[in-house]
Amino acid sequence: MTNFFFPLLALLTVQVSAQQFMTRTGHVHFFSETPMENIEAENAQMSGLLDVTNGGFAFQVQMRAFHFEKALMEEHFNENYVESEKFPKATFQGSIRDWQAGWKDGETHDVVATGSFDFHGVKQDRDIEGKLLWNGKAWEIETRFPVALEDHQIEVPAVVKDNIAPVIDVDVTATLEPR
Amino acid sequence: MRGLAILAPAVALGLFVATVETGSAQGLLDALNEAVEDPTLPVTATFKDTRIVNVQSNETPAEGVLHFVIAHRFGTLNSGAYELWGLDNAQMRMAFDYGITDRLAVGVARNTYQKTYEASIKARLLRQSTGPDAFPFSVTWYSVAMANGLKAPTDVNPYYFSHRLSYVNQAVIARKMNEDLSLALVPSFVHRNYVETTEDAHDLWLVGVGGRYKLTQRFSINGEYHHYLSQQFGDGFSPSLSLGVDIETGGHVFQLHVTNARGMFERSFLAEPVGSWGDGSVYFGFNLSRVFTVKS
Repeated sequence: MTNFFFPLLALLTVQVSAQQFMTRTGHVHFFSETPMENIEAENAQMSGLLDVTNGGFAFQVQMRAFHFEKALMEEHFNENYVESEKFPKATFQGSIRDWQAGWKDGETHDVVATGSFDFHGVKQDRDIEGKLLWNGKAWEIETRFPVALEDHQIEVPAVVKDNIAPVIDVDVTATLEPR
Repeated sequence: MRGLAILAPAVALGLFVATVETGSAQGLLDALNEAVEDPTLPVTATFKDTRIVNVQSNETPAEGVLHFVIAHRFGTLNSGAYELWGLDNAQMRMAFDYGITDRLAVGVARNTYQKTYEASIKARLLRQSTGPDAFPFSVTWYSVAMANGLKAPTDVNPYYFSHRLSYVNQAVIARKMNEDLSLALVPSFVHRNYVETTEDAHDLWLVGVGGRYKLTQRFSINGEYHHYLSQQFGDGFSPSLSLGVDIETGGHVFQLHVTNARGMFERSFLAEPVGSWGDGSVYFGFNLSRVFTVKS
């Protein structure tokens, strides 16, 4: 019985590791540029999951793990704008459109992720363009997409309207390794 | 028996495939949530400023940040129209606090009231946090030495520099209950090297409570009360009670309040609050703070 069971178990394990790829150290950076002030923040704790059987794709990021140049910016970001206590995470769930097994060829491919982007408690259906590369060991993902604060009901008071861009550019880079 | 043994893995495989299929179609995000543990993160902004009204909050300036405070207490509200209800008679405090690290700050201040100088140190000993290693409250330590700068009284001989000094040590135990409500318990120990009369105790123990409630994102109501643990204080002083609001505007925090304490340093507002809520001899005042990032 053991002779029979263990090879099969091993086979199952191989199958699991080959179909899902994951990261816990994805990098998110955003940038708000105005003539008055530039504001940027970094977060190196994005987690993400890619299912290569169908291109299914999900990521999440802790709002409180964003770090700013100035401590006060970080406090205002969490307290006044994204309300991290109420909405601790931003997430994306969807899939990479027209997923092809042939993308595992060491070339960079332009892809579009279609899905639901949930930020500040407001879900938006988004098509996000990005680049995908199989580096021989892991999938590398890179994207830049705009986020309009108004779309996610983030209010900017009149006194600081000139300091905060209405549309923020978000950069994401991640390397997803076999799970 | 052998037939069953062959069947079992096959059934297991079937179950497994079924699980994976539903898993990938619906809940990739749920799968991610299960795989990734939320990090332990400190709770921030329990209070908007380093003070609740008069007393320290658990907050300190971040590393490399200079926190500058200009504060005023006007005369008593019951002083009448001639004094414009106290506005003609202001006491001022100017303070600089600097964050050496995110957990340690030092400060100096000067008060017009009794021409008092202050030197202080403030340390975050414990921080409230969420996540797998969550901790339920914050503890911040505050120690301040105060020096009275008035001319030496003629009737006290000899009058050494040490006569001018007093000290306060306190622990600020604070908890952000939720997004809006934060509470603090502040036990304080006051030591005065020199007191006016034999009735006054050199050492005082107090326990204070304070809190803030956010009405909007940038506006909160604040209050604090300090209870003497025994009748150690001299005549004419009543326990310190202060009520106010915090208004945040970008880089500034305005704290407007009414208090029965005349001075803005610990000796004055903990041990010697000269006003009384009962007869309206309370003081309107404000703290205005601004932070400067000195080192990033």
